[in-house]
Amino acid sequence: MTTMVAGPNLLADLLSGPRPTEWASLREAAELRLAGRELPATREEDWKYTDLKALAGLAFGPAPKATVDISSHLLPEMVGTRQVFVNGHHAPHASCASAVPAGVRYFPMSHASEACHALGSIGNGVAKGLFEDLNTARFQDGAVILVPKNLKVALPLHLLFITKAETPIAVFPRVLVLLERGAELELVEEHHGEGAYLSCPVVEVHVAEGAILRHERVQRESPEAYHLGTLKAEVGKGGQYHSRTLSFGARLSRQQPWVRLAEGAEASLDGLVLLDGAQVADTHSFLHHAEPQASSHQLHKCIVDGKARAIFNGQIRVAPGAQGTDAQQQSRNLLLSETARVDTKPQLEIYADDVKCSHGAAVGQLDPEELFYLQSRGMNADDARNLLTYGFAADVLTHIPVASLRRALRQLVMARTQATSLGDLG
Amino acid sequence: MLSIKNLTASINGTPVLKGIDLEIKAGEIHAIMGPNGSGKSTLGKVLVGHPAYEVTGGEVLYEGRNLFELAADERARAGIFMGFQHPIEVPGVSNAAFLRLAYNKKAEAEGRDELDPLEFDDFIHEKIKLVAMKEEFLDRSLNEGFSGGEKKRNEILQMAVLEPKLAILDELDSGLDIDALRVLGDAVNKLQRPDRALLIITHFPRILETIQPQFVHVLSGGRILKSAGKELATELEDRGYDWVLEEAAAGGAR
Repeated sequence: MTTMVAGPNLLADLLSGPRPTEWASLREAAELRLAGRELPATREEDWKYTDLKALAGLAFGPAPKATVDISSHLLPEMVGTRQVFVNGHHAPHASCASAVPAGVRYFPMSHASEACHALGSIGNGVAKGLFEDLNTARFQDGAVILVPKNLKVALPLHLLFITKAETPIAVFPRVLVLLERGAELELVEEHHGEGAYLSCPVVEVHVAEGAILRHERVQRESPEAYHLGTLKAEVGKGGQYHSRTLSFGARLSRQQPWVRLAEGAEASLDGLVLLDGAQVADTHSFLHHAEPQASSHQLHKCIVDGKARAIFNGQIRVAPGAQGTDAQQQSRNLLLSETARVDTKPQLEIYADDVKCSHGAAVGQLDPEELFYLQSRGMNADDARNLLTYGFAADVLTHIPVASLRRALRQLVMARTQATSLGDLG
Repeated sequence: MLSIKNLTASINGTPVLKGIDLEIKAGEIHAIMGPNGSGKSTLGKVLVGHPAYEVTGGEVLYEGRNLFELAADERARAGIFMGFQHPIEVPGVSNAAFLRLAYNKKAEAEGRDELDPLEFDDFIHEKIKLVAMKEEFLDRSLNEGFSGGEKKRNEILQMAVLEPKLAILDELDSGLDIDALRVLGDAVNKLQRPDRALLIITHFPRILETIQPQFVHVLSGGRILKSAGKELATELEDRGYDWVLEEAAAGGAR
């Protein structure tokens, strides 16, 4: 049975305010595409398991400027490379980019020239998503990062998007990352918040020939928040894009990463989702092997407790002529309660013949052999279970290059997997 | 230390152990040998409480206590250890963190002081020398991506960390080259003391050249067919197992 979405006014409400004056033509085009559209309903295949009915009934006002204490979010490697946005607005006093090397352009979108033609152009030719268009029509601010040719940025950059909603508000964070030929960058993007709000971030990435971007994405929205995010990345010849998306927060979240790989490019698109209560987290990824000899690796893990629900739809397209493609996808899921649920679906479309594609999906409980192994070393059943659950999740964190972030996330995962009593597991 | 009387056990309703009797005293080294599928590994796994096996009869006393009243983790904390033939991989949990946790659980049970990460660091560096393990293996996830030999090395490292009273080593030599086998065999010998006992489960007599047992038992078809001194191992190496089986069959027919 399908569900009709009530409250057709949400989109109209969100668009009712004045259209920001910058990037007028981009916004106008987005609004035109949105005209007459409604929130997706569960009768649409792409939204089958993710019901936006509760969202449709809410009213979100415009986001006021606010100040927040960011001290708990600062990470030592990145104190001098941070741009902070509060309620979608740039927070100059909370930001500090003094340690960013000369040559890197790293500033708020509101300071960028409209001549920044790349905005809104990543993934051109592919239909824009509704929440992507909504962002384009109404984003308040965001970050622009330009790394020039062959510059390898030693320090990671830190983007902090913080939402403080006293009444329900809508925010539209926007990020544009352009790496020129041979450039290298590590980027940490975090979303935090309190209160009830809707966040629709859009991140656009262009990695030019031979450039490398490592992108850590942390979603720790408030338990009452909705997070509907879009990521679009184009990776040039021999370039690399490695992302890891860690979803912990939000009442309902959806991540839609889309990555296009040129010849010989490499991508990894890993994910960790930790859910409990009545949380819903949906990942709909699309990896497009457009040209030959590209490789992609995707490990998506979910731990689901309570009545929570995780959805994974991993689409991989190997275009005609994309010979020598190597695509590997793994969806692994751990259910911690009888009422938790995971819907996972690999979706491979292969139009070339000389390719290596593998995918696997597993949903289940902890392996009794692993439990016994730990018990045979003196751990009681609860400790063994918690340690394995922690390990299942921490596996995704092992290769995070920013040490303080890795530690902080391990602590978070320990707390969420009841492993804190086991002591330091670093 | 360990007294096994008429022990029977099955897996999925199929009997595997059909009446085992065995006495192991402190300071002794016993070897259980036998053809593949004879029930050797099962005996070890039953003793450490593997959940796949059901004990259907008999009794096992460990230091005078009924072993089967103890859960697997309690047996471990009481000093029983099994080095497995196929150790499990646990991604996401570092080897060092796991070893420290295991050490501290046992220390806590014995009323000794637990070690914090720094103290444990010193402690474990002594231990890895004993098994000639490279330091990088401490930071890697537990057994993940380890070769067969590295896993065995890690099992003996765990034994060195936990210092069990009764260690059961299942097919320690599988996956090991000659040099590694000698290193690990020497390590096991160094850990053996008059108040400890060893039960070596092996298909091949090779390992018994390094770890020399006083008692050798041939297990086949879920029963111990023959027990003798270490000279039996040499004989098995020369003649194989068939003659023991034939002898037992003849004895049974009499």
